[in-house]
Amino acid sequence: MLNKIWLALIAMGMFAAVWQDVSDEIKNPYRNGVALDAQFQIKKSPGPGSAAWEGEIVISAERYAEFYGTSPQSEEVRQPVNATIDANGNGSFLFSAAEKTPTLWKKMSASASTADKLSGKVNGWKLDPQTNVAIARITIEPIRFVRLKNVTQSALKIANVAVELAMGLIGIMALWLGLIKIAEEAGLVLVLTKLLKPITVRLFPDVPSDHPAIGAIIMNTAANMLGLNNAATPMGLKAMEELNKINPNPGTATNAMVTFLAINTAGLVLIPATAIAIRASIGSVNPGIIIGTSIVGAGFATVAGIAASKLLQRLPMFKVEAAQKDSAKEKSNG
Amino acid sequence: MGEFFKSAVQLISLVAIPALIVAFLAWGFAKKVKVYEVFVEGAKEGFNTAIRIIPYLVAMLFAISIFRASGAMDMLISLLAPITNLIGMPAEALPMALLRPLSGSGSLGLMTDIMTKHGPDSFLGVLVSTMYGSSETTFYVLAVYFGSVNIKNTRHAVATGLIADVAGMLAALMICKLLFF
Repeated sequence: MLNKIWLALIAMGMFAAVWQDVSDEIKNPYRNGVALDAQFQIKKSPGPGSAAWEGEIVISAERYAEFYGTSPQSEEVRQPVNATIDANGNGSFLFSAAEKTPTLWKKMSASASTADKLSGKVNGWKLDPQTNVAIARITIEPIRFVRLKNVTQSALKIANVAVELAMGLIGIMALWLGLIKIAEEAGLVLVLTKLLKPITVRLFPDVPSDHPAIGAIIMNTAANMLGLNNAATPMGLKAMEELNKINPNPGTATNAMVTFLAINTAGLVLIPATAIAIRASIGSVNPGIIIGTSIVGAGFATVAGIAASKLLQRLPMFKVEAAQKDSAKEKSNG
Repeated sequence: MGEFFKSAVQLISLVAIPALIVAFLAWGFAKKVKVYEVFVEGAKEGFNTAIRIIPYLVAMLFAISIFRASGAMDMLISLLAPITNLIGMPAEALPMALLRPLSGSGSLGLMTDIMTKHGPDSFLGVLVSTMYGSSETTFYVLAVYFGSVNIKNTRHAVATGLIADVAGMLAALMICKLLFF
Protein backbone atom coordinates (compact mmCIF):
# COMPACT_ATOMS: atom_id res chain seq x y z
CA MET A 1 0.00 0.00 0.00
CA LEU A 2 2.83 2.36 0.86
CA ASN A 3 4.28 1.65 -2.59
CA LYS A 4 1.13 2.95 -4.22
CA ILE A 5 0.75 6.00 -1.99
CA TRP A 6 4.40 6.88 -2.43
CA LEU A 7 4.12 6.62 -6.19
CA ALA A 8 0.81 8.51 -6.16
CA LEU A 9 2.32 11.44 -4.26
CA ILE A 10 5.16 11.75 -6.77
CA ALA A 11 2.93 11.18 -9.81
CA MET A 12 0.35 13.71 -8.65
CA GLY A 13 3.14 16.19 -7.96
CA MET A 14 4.72 15.76 -11.38
CA PHE A 15 1.36 15.93 -13.11
CA ALA A 16 0.34 19.09 -11.24
CA ALA A 17 3.70 20.75 -11.96
CA VAL A 18 3.59 20.03 -15.69
CA TRP A 19 -0.11 20.93 -15.92
CA GLN A 20 0.37 24.32 -14.30
CA ASP A 21 3.55 25.11 -16.19
CA VAL A 22 1.89 24.31 -19.51
CA SER A 23 -1.10 26.43 -18.63
CA ASP A 24 1.32 29.23 -17.65
CA GLU A 25 2.88 28.92 -21.11
CA ILE A 26 -0.54 29.47 -22.64
CA LYS A 27 -1.85 32.19 -20.33
CA ASN A 28 1.51 33.91 -19.83
CA PRO A 29 0.77 35.36 -16.38
CA TYR A 30 4.36 36.62 -16.10
CA ARG A 31 4.01 38.53 -19.40
CA ASN A 32 7.14 36.95 -20.87
CA GLY A 33 8.49 38.95 -23.80
CA VAL A 34 6.03 41.84 -23.37
CA ALA A 35 7.46 45.33 -22.84
CA LEU A 36 6.25 47.52 -20.00
CA ASP A 37 6.54 51.31 -19.94
CA ALA A 38 8.37 52.46 -16.87
CA GLN A 39 9.96 55.51 -15.35
CA PHE A 40 13.48 55.47 -13.97
CA GLN A 41 14.20 57.95 -11.21
CA ILE A 42 17.94 58.35 -11.35
CA LYS A 43 19.85 58.36 -8.07
CA LYS A 44 23.33 58.01 -9.49
CA SER A 45 24.38 58.81 -13.03
CA PRO A 46 27.31 56.96 -14.63
CA GLY A 47 30.73 58.51 -14.29
CA PRO A 48 33.07 59.00 -17.26
CA GLY A 49 33.61 55.85 -19.35
CA SER A 50 30.80 54.02 -17.61
CA ALA A 51 27.20 53.31 -18.55
CA ALA A 52 25.91 52.12 -15.18
CA TRP A 53 22.87 53.92 -13.78
CA GLU A 54 21.42 53.51 -10.34
CA GLY A 55 17.92 54.46 -9.37
CA GLU A 56 14.37 53.29 -8.96
CA ILE A 57 11.88 51.86 -11.38
CA VAL A 58 8.58 53.65 -10.81
CA ILE A 59 5.31 52.23 -12.12
CA SER A 60 1.90 53.50 -11.09
CA ALA A 61 -0.32 51.04 -9.21
CA GLU A 62 -2.96 51.06 -11.99
CA ARG A 63 -0.44 50.49 -14.76
CA TYR A 64 1.13 47.55 -12.89
CA ALA A 65 -2.23 45.94 -12.16
CA GLU A 66 -3.38 46.41 -15.74
CA PHE A 67 -0.17 44.95 -17.16
CA TYR A 68 -0.18 41.80 -15.04
CA GLY A 69 -3.95 41.52 -14.71
CA THR A 70 -3.65 41.40 -10.92
CA SER A 71 -5.97 43.06 -8.44
CA PRO A 72 -4.95 46.71 -7.98
CA GLN A 73 -2.50 47.30 -5.16
CA SER A 74 -2.55 50.39 -3.03
CA GLU A 75 0.95 51.72 -3.60
CA GLU A 76 2.87 52.48 -6.75
CA VAL A 77 5.84 50.25 -7.52
CA ARG A 78 9.18 51.67 -6.45
CA GLN A 79 11.91 49.18 -7.14
CA PRO A 80 15.62 50.01 -6.66
CA VAL A 81 17.48 48.96 -9.79
CA ASN A 82 20.83 48.98 -11.57
CA ALA A 83 20.83 49.61 -15.30
CA THR A 84 23.41 49.74 -18.06
CA ILE A 85 22.41 51.86 -21.05
CA ASP A 86 24.34 52.29 -24.30
CA ALA A 87 24.45 55.40 -26.50
CA ASN A 88 21.40 54.27 -28.50
CA GLY A 89 19.27 54.11 -25.38
CA ASN A 90 19.21 50.31 -25.16
CA GLY A 91 20.63 48.16 -22.41
CA SER A 92 19.84 45.91 -19.51
CA PHE A 93 18.75 46.12 -15.88
CA LEU A 94 18.98 43.99 -12.77
CA PHE A 95 17.24 44.26 -9.41
CA SER A 96 17.04 42.19 -6.23
CA ALA A 97 13.73 41.27 -4.66
CA ALA A 98 13.36 43.17 -1.39
CA GLU A 99 10.59 43.74 1.11
CA LYS A 100 8.81 46.37 -0.99
CA THR A 101 8.98 44.42 -4.23
CA PRO A 102 5.50 43.51 -5.54
CA THR A 103 4.44 39.95 -4.71
CA LEU A 104 4.38 38.77 -8.31
CA TRP A 105 7.90 40.03 -8.97
CA LYS A 106 9.05 38.33 -5.79
CA LYS A 107 7.51 35.09 -6.96
CA MET A 108 9.09 35.50 -10.38
CA SER A 109 12.50 36.28 -8.90
CA ALA A 110 12.41 33.01 -6.96
CA SER A 111 12.61 31.05 -10.20
CA ALA A 112 14.64 33.53 -12.23
CA SER A 113 18.05 32.76 -13.74
CA THR A 114 19.77 34.32 -10.71
CA ALA A 115 17.97 33.44 -7.49
CA ASP A 116 15.99 36.34 -5.98
CA LYS A 117 17.07 38.72 -8.74
CA LEU A 118 15.23 39.76 -11.87
CA SER A 119 17.03 40.98 -14.96
CA GLY A 120 15.77 42.22 -18.30
CA LYS A 121 16.19 44.46 -21.29
CA VAL A 122 15.76 48.23 -21.51
CA ASN A 123 14.74 49.90 -24.79
CA GLY A 124 14.00 53.43 -25.88
CA TRP A 125 15.74 55.11 -22.93
CA LYS A 126 14.92 58.83 -22.91
CA LEU A 127 16.48 60.88 -20.14
CA ASP A 128 15.22 64.24 -19.04
CA PRO A 129 18.35 65.83 -17.50
CA GLN A 130 16.32 68.51 -15.69
CA THR A 131 14.21 66.18 -13.56
CA ASN A 132 16.67 63.28 -13.65
CA VAL A 133 13.87 60.99 -14.76
CA ALA A 134 14.17 58.61 -17.70
CA ILE A 135 11.37 56.93 -19.59
CA ALA A 136 12.00 53.50 -21.09
CA ARG A 137 10.40 50.21 -22.03
CA ILE A 138 11.49 47.28 -19.88
CA THR A 139 11.14 43.62 -20.74
CA ILE A 140 11.74 41.26 -17.82
CA GLU A 141 13.55 38.00 -18.55
CA PRO A 142 11.17 35.17 -19.43
CA ILE A 143 9.99 33.22 -16.37
CA ARG A 144 9.20 29.64 -17.31
CA PHE A 145 8.50 26.28 -15.67
CA VAL A 146 8.12 27.75 -12.21
CA ARG A 147 6.59 24.61 -10.71
CA LEU A 148 9.07 22.19 -12.21
CA LYS A 149 11.96 24.32 -10.95
CA ASN A 150 10.30 24.35 -7.53
CA VAL A 151 9.98 20.57 -7.56
CA THR A 152 13.61 20.10 -8.52
CA GLN A 153 14.87 22.49 -5.87
CA SER A 154 12.85 21.08 -3.00
CA ALA A 155 13.52 17.46 -3.96
CA LEU A 156 17.26 18.08 -3.82
CA LYS A 157 17.02 20.10 -0.63
CA ILE A 158 14.86 17.61 1.23
CA ALA A 159 17.45 14.84 0.88
CA ASN A 160 19.75 16.86 3.12
CA VAL A 161 16.92 17.68 5.50
CA ALA A 162 16.29 13.97 5.98
CA VAL A 163 19.91 13.38 6.90
CA GLU A 164 19.91 16.33 9.30
CA LEU A 165 16.79 15.02 11.01
CA ALA A 166 18.36 11.60 11.43
CA MET A 167 21.64 13.07 12.70
CA GLY A 168 19.71 15.15 15.20
CA LEU A 169 18.34 11.93 16.64
CA ILE A 170 21.72 10.32 17.36
CA GLY A 171 22.52 12.02 20.65
CA ILE A 172 19.08 11.97 22.14
CA MET A 173 18.63 8.35 21.06
CA ALA A 174 21.87 7.36 22.75
CA LEU A 175 20.90 9.11 25.98
CA TRP A 176 17.49 7.53 26.32
CA LEU A 177 18.46 4.09 25.08
CA GLY A 178 21.19 4.12 27.73
CA LEU A 179 18.76 5.04 30.48
CA ILE A 180 16.16 2.52 29.29
CA LYS A 181 18.76 -0.21 29.29
CA ILE A 182 19.45 0.46 32.96
CA ALA A 183 15.74 0.38 33.78
CA GLU A 184 15.45 -2.87 31.87
CA GLU A 185 18.38 -4.57 33.61
CA ALA A 186 17.05 -3.44 36.96
CA GLY A 187 13.64 -4.96 36.24
CA LEU A 188 11.84 -1.63 36.48
CA VAL A 189 10.27 -2.01 33.06
CA LEU A 190 8.86 -5.37 34.12
CA VAL A 191 7.02 -3.73 37.01
CA LEU A 192 5.45 -1.30 34.59
CA THR A 193 4.35 -4.02 32.18
CA LYS A 194 2.70 -6.04 34.98
CA LEU A 195 0.77 -2.97 36.09
CA LEU A 196 -0.86 -2.36 32.72
CA LYS A 197 -1.17 -6.01 31.72
CA PRO A 198 -5.01 -6.04 31.56
CA ILE A 199 -4.92 -3.42 28.81
CA THR A 200 -1.85 -4.50 26.91
CA VAL A 201 -2.84 -8.16 26.50
CA ARG A 202 -5.96 -7.03 24.68
CA LEU A 203 -4.19 -4.50 22.49
CA PHE A 204 -1.23 -6.73 21.66
CA PRO A 205 -2.44 -10.33 21.87
CA ASP A 206 0.53 -11.57 19.79
CA VAL A 207 3.13 -10.24 22.22
CA PRO A 208 3.94 -12.08 25.47
CA SER A 209 2.60 -9.90 28.26
CA ASP A 210 5.95 -9.54 30.06
CA HIS A 211 7.99 -8.92 26.91
CA PRO A 212 10.30 -5.85 26.99
CA ALA A 213 8.43 -4.50 23.96
CA ILE A 214 5.37 -3.91 26.11
CA GLY A 215 7.42 -1.89 28.58
CA ALA A 216 8.82 0.28 25.80
CA ILE A 217 5.36 0.76 24.30
CA ILE A 218 3.99 1.91 27.66
CA MET A 219 6.90 4.32 28.20
CA ASN A 220 6.54 5.71 24.67
CA THR A 221 2.81 6.27 25.04
CA ALA A 222 3.25 7.93 28.42
CA ALA A 223 6.00 10.21 27.12
CA ASN A 224 3.89 11.13 24.10
CA MET A 225 0.89 11.98 26.24
CA LEU A 226 3.02 14.25 28.40
CA GLY A 227 4.42 15.91 25.28
CA LEU A 228 7.99 14.75 25.97
CA ASN A 229 8.88 14.31 22.31
CA ASN A 230 12.59 13.96 22.95
CA ALA A 231 12.04 10.97 25.18
CA ALA A 232 9.14 9.50 23.23
CA THR A 233 10.94 8.82 19.95
CA PRO A 234 13.83 6.77 21.44
CA MET A 235 11.35 4.78 23.53
CA GLY A 236 9.14 4.20 20.50
CA LEU A 237 12.07 3.03 18.38
CA LYS A 238 13.12 0.76 21.22
CA ALA A 239 9.59 -0.69 21.20
CA MET A 240 9.85 -1.30 17.44
CA GLU A 241 13.18 -3.04 17.91
CA GLU A 242 11.76 -5.32 20.58
CA LEU A 243 8.66 -6.03 18.51
CA ASN A 244 10.90 -6.88 15.58
CA LYS A 245 12.75 -9.47 17.69
CA ILE A 246 9.55 -11.52 17.81
CA ASN A 247 8.70 -10.80 14.19
CA PRO A 248 8.67 -14.17 12.37
CA ASN A 249 8.91 -12.36 9.04
CA PRO A 250 11.63 -9.68 9.08
CA GLY A 251 10.91 -6.87 6.66
CA THR A 252 7.15 -7.20 7.07
CA ALA A 253 5.13 -5.36 9.71
CA THR A 254 3.42 -7.40 12.42
CA ASN A 255 -0.09 -6.79 13.73
CA ALA A 256 1.32 -5.51 17.01
CA MET A 257 3.52 -2.98 15.21
CA VAL A 258 0.59 -1.57 13.28
CA THR A 259 -1.58 -1.31 16.38
CA PHE A 260 1.27 0.39 18.22
CA LEU A 261 1.78 2.89 15.41
CA ALA A 262 -1.97 3.54 15.22
CA ILE A 263 -1.87 4.62 18.86
CA ASN A 264 1.31 6.59 18.24
CA THR A 265 0.22 8.48 15.11
CA ALA A 266 -3.16 9.33 16.60
CA GLY A 267 -1.06 11.62 18.79
CA LEU A 268 -2.99 11.74 22.05
CA VAL A 269 -1.38 14.55 24.06
CA LEU A 270 -2.67 15.89 27.37
CA ILE A 271 -1.30 19.37 26.68
CA PRO A 272 -0.71 20.28 23.03
CA ALA A 273 2.14 22.59 24.03
CA THR A 274 3.29 23.76 20.59
CA ALA A 275 -0.17 24.77 19.42
CA ILE A 276 -0.88 26.55 22.71
CA ALA A 277 2.41 28.45 22.55
CA ILE A 278 1.70 29.66 19.00
CA ARG A 279 -1.83 30.68 19.98
CA ALA A 280 -0.48 32.68 22.89
CA SER A 281 2.15 34.36 20.72
CA ILE A 282 -0.52 35.51 18.26
CA GLY A 283 -2.47 37.06 21.11
CA SER A 284 -5.18 34.57 21.96
CA VAL A 285 -7.31 35.46 24.98
CA ASN A 286 -7.64 31.80 25.83
CA PRO A 287 -4.77 29.81 24.35
CA GLY A 288 -5.53 26.74 26.46
CA ILE A 289 -9.04 26.32 25.11
CA ILE A 290 -7.80 23.73 22.66
CA ILE A 291 -6.71 21.33 25.42
CA GLY A 292 -10.18 19.86 25.70
CA THR A 293 -10.94 19.88 22.00
CA SER A 294 -7.58 18.31 21.14
CA ILE A 295 -8.10 15.48 23.63
CA VAL A 296 -11.49 14.77 22.03
CA GLY A 297 -10.02 14.87 18.52
CA ALA A 298 -7.04 12.67 19.34
CA GLY A 299 -9.22 10.39 21.49
CA PHE A 300 -11.44 9.64 18.52
CA ALA A 301 -8.37 9.18 16.33
CA THR A 302 -6.89 6.70 18.82
CA VAL A 303 -10.06 4.62 19.07
CA ALA A 304 -10.55 4.67 15.30
CA GLY A 305 -6.91 3.75 14.75
CA ILE A 306 -7.00 0.78 17.11
CA ALA A 307 -10.29 -0.43 15.65
CA ALA A 308 -9.00 -0.02 12.09
CA SER A 309 -5.78 -1.89 12.83
CA LYS A 310 -7.72 -4.79 14.33
CA LEU A 311 -10.19 -4.94 11.45
CA LEU A 312 -7.79 -4.38 8.56
CA GLN A 313 -5.31 -7.01 9.74
CA ARG A 314 -7.89 -9.65 8.79
CA LEU A 315 -8.32 -8.46 5.21
CA PRO A 316 -6.76 -10.78 2.61
CA MET A 317 -4.93 -7.88 0.94
CA PHE A 318 -3.03 -7.14 4.14
CA LYS A 319 -2.22 -10.73 5.07
CA VAL A 320 1.39 -11.62 5.83
CA GLU A 321 3.05 -13.33 2.84
CA ALA A 322 2.58 -17.06 2.23
CA ALA A 323 5.46 -18.53 4.26
CA GLN A 324 4.25 -17.14 7.51
CA LYS A 325 0.53 -17.43 6.87
CA ASP A 326 -0.16 -20.40 9.11
CA SER A 327 1.57 -19.23 12.24
CA ALA A 328 0.03 -15.79 11.86
CA LYS A 329 -3.39 -17.39 11.72
CA GLU A 330 -2.75 -19.40 14.86
CA LYS A 331 -1.72 -16.28 16.71
CA SER A 332 -4.69 -14.18 15.69
CA ASN A 333 -7.03 -16.99 16.69
CA GLY A 334 -5.41 -17.34 20.10
CA MET B 1 -11.09 20.64 34.21
CA GLY B 2 -9.65 23.88 32.83
CA GLU B 3 -6.89 25.60 34.75
CA PHE B 4 -6.29 22.96 37.43
CA PHE B 5 -5.91 20.19 34.89
CA LYS B 6 -3.62 22.31 32.79
CA SER B 7 -1.26 23.26 35.60
CA ALA B 8 -1.24 19.70 36.94
CA VAL B 9 -0.23 18.25 33.58
CA GLN B 10 2.35 20.98 33.05
CA LEU B 11 3.89 20.21 36.43
CA ILE B 12 4.03 16.50 35.61
CA SER B 13 5.63 17.20 32.22
CA LEU B 14 8.18 19.41 33.90
CA VAL B 15 9.32 16.94 36.54
CA ALA B 16 8.84 13.82 34.43
CA ILE B 17 12.30 13.69 32.87
CA PRO B 18 14.34 14.41 36.03
CA ALA B 19 12.10 12.01 37.95
CA LEU B 20 12.58 9.29 35.35
CA ILE B 21 16.35 9.72 35.38
CA VAL B 22 16.48 9.53 39.18
CA ALA B 23 14.08 6.58 39.31
CA PHE B 24 15.95 4.57 36.66
CA LEU B 25 19.35 5.20 38.22
CA ALA B 26 18.23 4.67 41.83
CA TRP B 27 16.42 1.45 40.96
CA GLY B 28 19.41 0.25 38.97
CA PHE B 29 21.77 1.09 41.82
CA ALA B 30 19.53 -0.71 44.31
CA LYS B 31 19.45 -3.80 42.09
CA LYS B 32 23.25 -3.66 41.81
CA VAL B 33 23.24 -2.97 38.07
CA LYS B 34 26.59 -1.69 36.75
CA VAL B 35 24.88 1.52 35.75
CA TYR B 36 27.66 3.15 33.75
CA GLU B 37 28.53 0.08 31.74
CA VAL B 38 24.93 -0.76 31.01
CA PHE B 39 24.18 2.84 30.01
CA VAL B 40 27.00 2.86 27.47
CA GLU B 41 25.94 -0.54 26.21
CA GLY B 42 22.42 0.72 25.54
CA ALA B 43 23.54 4.07 24.16
CA LYS B 44 25.63 2.36 21.46
CA GLU B 45 22.42 1.47 19.68
CA GLY B 46 21.50 5.13 19.20
CA PHE B 47 23.90 5.73 16.36
CA ASN B 48 22.93 2.67 14.35
CA THR B 49 19.23 3.32 14.71
CA ALA B 50 19.55 6.93 13.56
CA ILE B 51 21.64 5.92 10.54
CA ARG B 52 19.24 3.10 9.68
CA ILE B 53 16.28 5.43 9.23
CA ILE B 54 18.00 7.77 6.73
CA PRO B 55 16.99 5.93 3.52
CA TYR B 56 13.40 5.64 4.70
CA LEU B 57 13.26 9.31 5.66
CA VAL B 58 14.79 10.43 2.36
CA ALA B 59 12.26 8.35 0.41
CA MET B 60 9.28 9.61 2.37
CA LEU B 61 10.24 13.29 2.57
CA PHE B 62 11.22 13.25 -1.11
CA ALA B 63 7.74 12.18 -2.24
CA ILE B 64 6.02 14.59 0.13
CA SER B 65 8.21 17.51 -0.95
CA ILE B 66 7.43 16.91 -4.63
CA PHE B 67 3.75 16.74 -3.80
CA ARG B 68 3.89 20.02 -1.93
CA ALA B 69 6.25 22.03 -4.14
CA SER B 70 4.33 21.20 -7.32
CA GLY B 71 1.09 22.72 -6.10
CA ALA B 72 -0.65 19.32 -6.38
CA MET B 73 -2.02 20.01 -2.93
CA ASP B 74 -4.03 23.00 -4.21
CA MET B 75 -5.47 20.91 -7.01
CA LEU B 76 -6.46 18.17 -4.56
CA ILE B 77 -8.09 20.78 -2.34
CA SER B 78 -10.22 22.15 -5.14
CA LEU B 79 -11.31 18.58 -5.91
CA LEU B 80 -12.18 17.78 -2.31
CA ALA B 81 -13.71 21.11 -1.31
CA PRO B 82 -17.24 20.40 -2.62
CA ILE B 83 -17.37 17.17 -0.59
CA THR B 84 -16.02 18.64 2.63
CA ASN B 85 -18.35 21.63 2.28
CA LEU B 86 -21.23 19.22 2.74
CA ILE B 87 -20.11 18.34 6.27
CA GLY B 88 -19.43 21.96 7.13
CA MET B 89 -15.65 21.92 6.98
CA PRO B 90 -14.52 25.51 6.23
CA ALA B 91 -12.55 25.74 3.00
CA GLU B 92 -9.66 27.42 4.82
CA ALA B 93 -9.27 24.48 7.20
CA LEU B 94 -9.13 21.82 4.49
CA PRO B 95 -5.44 22.39 3.62
CA MET B 96 -4.65 21.89 7.32
CA ALA B 97 -6.47 18.55 7.43
CA LEU B 98 -4.59 17.36 4.34
CA LEU B 99 -1.16 18.69 5.29
CA ARG B 100 -1.13 17.58 8.93
CA PRO B 101 -0.33 13.89 8.28
CA LEU B 102 2.27 14.80 5.65
CA SER B 103 4.40 17.54 7.15
CA GLY B 104 4.93 18.70 10.71
CA SER B 105 6.74 21.93 9.91
CA GLY B 106 4.43 22.65 6.98
CA SER B 107 1.27 22.30 9.03
CA LEU B 108 2.80 24.35 11.85
CA GLY B 109 3.39 27.20 9.41
CA LEU B 110 -0.09 26.83 7.97
CA MET B 111 -1.69 26.90 11.41
CA THR B 112 0.22 30.07 12.27
CA ASP B 113 -0.81 31.71 8.98
CA ILE B 114 -4.49 30.91 9.40
CA MET B 115 -4.55 32.13 13.01
CA THR B 116 -2.74 35.34 12.13
CA LYS B 117 -5.24 36.00 9.34
CA HIS B 118 -8.48 35.01 11.08
CA GLY B 119 -7.60 35.46 14.76
CA PRO B 120 -6.62 32.66 17.18
CA ASP B 121 -9.96 32.77 19.01
CA SER B 122 -12.14 32.64 15.89
CA PHE B 123 -13.86 29.39 14.99
CA LEU B 124 -11.27 28.82 12.29
CA GLY B 125 -8.38 29.60 14.64
CA VAL B 126 -9.57 27.18 17.30
CA LEU B 127 -10.32 24.54 14.67
CA VAL B 128 -6.90 24.57 13.01
CA SER B 129 -5.03 24.62 16.30
CA THR B 130 -7.15 21.73 17.53
CA MET B 131 -6.36 19.86 14.32
CA TYR B 132 -2.68 20.53 14.84
CA GLY B 133 -2.73 19.67 18.53
CA SER B 134 -4.73 16.49 18.19
CA SER B 135 -2.68 14.74 15.57
CA GLU B 136 0.76 13.52 14.62
CA THR B 137 2.72 13.65 11.37
CA THR B 138 1.62 10.16 10.36
CA PHE B 139 3.90 9.67 7.37
CA TYR B 140 6.98 10.85 9.23
CA VAL B 141 6.26 8.51 12.15
CA LEU B 142 5.69 5.58 9.79
CA ALA B 143 8.95 6.26 7.94
CA VAL B 144 11.02 6.64 11.10
CA TYR B 145 9.52 3.80 13.11
CA PHE B 146 9.40 1.21 10.35
CA GLY B 147 12.72 2.44 8.98
CA SER B 148 14.43 1.85 12.30
CA VAL B 149 13.77 -1.90 11.99
CA ASN B 150 14.13 -2.10 8.20
CA ILE B 151 10.49 -2.87 7.52
CA LYS B 152 9.50 -2.27 3.92
CA ASN B 153 6.18 -4.08 3.70
CA THR B 154 4.04 -1.99 6.04
CA ARG B 155 0.80 -3.93 5.35
CA HIS B 156 -2.24 -2.08 6.74
CA ALA B 157 -0.24 0.57 8.62
CA VAL B 158 -0.83 3.41 6.14
CA ALA B 159 -4.55 2.70 5.83
CA THR B 160 -4.87 2.49 9.61
CA GLY B 161 -2.98 5.74 10.12
CA LEU B 162 -5.09 7.57 7.55
CA ILE B 163 -8.37 6.26 9.01
CA ALA B 164 -7.23 7.51 12.42
CA ASP B 165 -6.33 10.88 10.91
CA VAL B 166 -9.69 11.28 9.20
CA ALA B 167 -11.50 10.31 12.41
CA GLY B 168 -9.41 12.77 14.39
CA MET B 169 -10.01 15.64 11.96
CA LEU B 170 -13.76 15.00 11.85
CA ALA B 171 -13.93 14.78 15.64
CA ALA B 172 -11.99 18.04 15.90
CA LEU B 173 -14.48 19.69 13.53
CA MET B 174 -17.49 18.41 15.46
CA ILE B 175 -16.21 19.39 18.90
CA CYS B 176 -15.23 22.87 17.69
CA LYS B 177 -18.70 23.32 16.19
CA LEU B 178 -20.26 22.27 19.48
CA LEU B 179 -18.03 24.70 21.30
CA PHE B 180 -19.02 27.62 19.11
CA PHE B 181 -22.73 27.08 18.58
